[in-house]
Amino acid sequence: MPAAGRTYWLTEPCRIRREDNSIRVERPDGSPVRIPITDIRDLIAFDHVDVNTSAMSMLSRNGVTLHILDHYGNHAGHFSPAESVASAAVIRRQVEITADPDRRTAIGRALVLAAAENLRWALDTDLLDPALQSLRTDLPDCKDDDAIMGQEGNFRRTAWAVLDTQLPPWLRLNGRTRRPPTNAGNAFISYLNALVYARVLTALRSTPLHPAIGFLHSDTDRRRNTLALDLAEPFKPLFAERLLKRTAHQRALKPTDFETDVGRASLSTNGRKKIAALVREELSTTVHHRTLKRKVSYEELIHLEALKLVRLCLEDTPYKPFHPWW
Amino acid sequence: MFVILVYDTAVERNPKVLKTCRKYLHWTQRSVFQGELSTAQYRALITALRTTIDPDYDSIVTYTTRSPDMIDTTTLGVALGGPGDIL
Repeated sequence: MPAAGRTYWLTEPCRIRREDNSIRVERPDGSPVRIPITDIRDLIAFDHVDVNTSAMSMLSRNGVTLHILDHYGNHAGHFSPAESVASAAVIRRQVEITADPDRRTAIGRALVLAAAENLRWALDTDLLDPALQSLRTDLPDCKDDDAIMGQEGNFRRTAWAVLDTQLPPWLRLNGRTRRPPTNAGNAFISYLNALVYARVLTALRSTPLHPAIGFLHSDTDRRRNTLALDLAEPFKPLFAERLLKRTAHQRALKPTDFETDVGRASLSTNGRKKIAALVREELSTTVHHRTLKRKVSYEELIHLEALKLVRLCLEDTPYKPFHPWW
Repeated sequence: MFVILVYDTAVERNPKVLKTCRKYLHWTQRSVFQGELSTAQYRALITALRTTIDPDYDSIVTYTTRSPDMIDTTTLGVALGGPGDIL
C-alpha cells in the first residue's frame, strides 16, 4: 500500500482526464476537480466514467488502480498498472502451494471457517451457534473445493436467514439473489461485496502475489481473480453484513435510496453516495493491533492479510485467516 | 506529513508553479495548497519548485505538521477547496 494516497469514489458520471501530469475529473455539474496524482491510491467508478489512454498511462505510471462497478454493483473489471512488484519466487511458491490438494484445501477450510466465525461475530447472536458447530464438524471431511464451498453455502443460507430477523421488512434479503439482486437488501450486500473485492484486489496488487491463483474458489469461477475472492471471504462479514445491520438500526438508508423494479433492485445515485461515504468511514476505522503494537485501519488489515500470504509463500509461516479480535 | 503551501510569485511564473503544485497537493485557495505527502514526495515537490521560481523575486512558504489533525481550520465566506474524495 502506498504510504500516502486515498481512495477516490466516483459516484457520478464523470470524465477522467490528464492535465499537467496530474488528474482532472470533469463532472456534468460544477467546475472540474483536480486531484493530485500522488494522492490517489485507487479510483472506484460507480457510474459512467470516460477515461482515455493518456489518463490511463498516467494512472499506470503512478501505480493507481481503477475499479469499475457495473449498474448492479458487481465488479465489472479493473485497470491496474503494469506489474511492478512481480517476484518469480513468490509466484512459484504460490503455485506450488495451490497445486498441492492437501495444503490448498487446508487453507480453503480455514478461510471458510474464518468467514463463518466472522459472520457469527458480525451478527452477534447465538442463533448461529448450532450452524457454526455443524460447520466445524463437517468441514474436516470435505476433500475438495466444491464440498467446502457447499458447506459454506449451507452456513451462509442459515446466517442470512438469521440476519433477516434483525432487519426491517423492506431491507430483508428473503434468500440471497445475485445477478441481478432482486431486492434492496440483496442489492446492498452485492454492492458491499464488490467493494470488498475491489479493496482486496488493490491490496493484492501491492504484493507480488498473483491475484488469479487462489485456494478456495475454483479456477474457472467466471475467470475472476480467485485469490481476491478467497481473501475477501473473511472480510465480507466485517463490511457487508455488519454495515447492513448498522444502517438498518440507524435508519441511515431509506427505500428511496434503492431503485426497485420487478425482480431487480439497485442503488440510486444518492444511495451510492451514501454507501461510498459509509464504506470510506468504515475503512478508516482503526483498531489496536496487538502484534504491531499500533493502531491499524480496516483498510490496512486487508493489506496485512495479503502480506500473511506472502509470508506463507516465502517463509512457510502457517496462514491464519483474519478474525476480529476486538 | 501534512503540508500547507503558500506562494507569491511573479505573474509570468504563476501558471508553472500552480501546475507543479497540482501534481502533489490539493488546491485550497488562490495561491494556497494543502495535502498529505510523504517525505520523498515533499522533497520532490520542493526540488521541482526550486527550479521553477526566481529566487530573487518569488517567495514560497510551506508549513508542515505530522498530520492534519494537528491543525484547526476556520473558514469564513466561500470554501473554495475541492469536494473531498467522494466525487
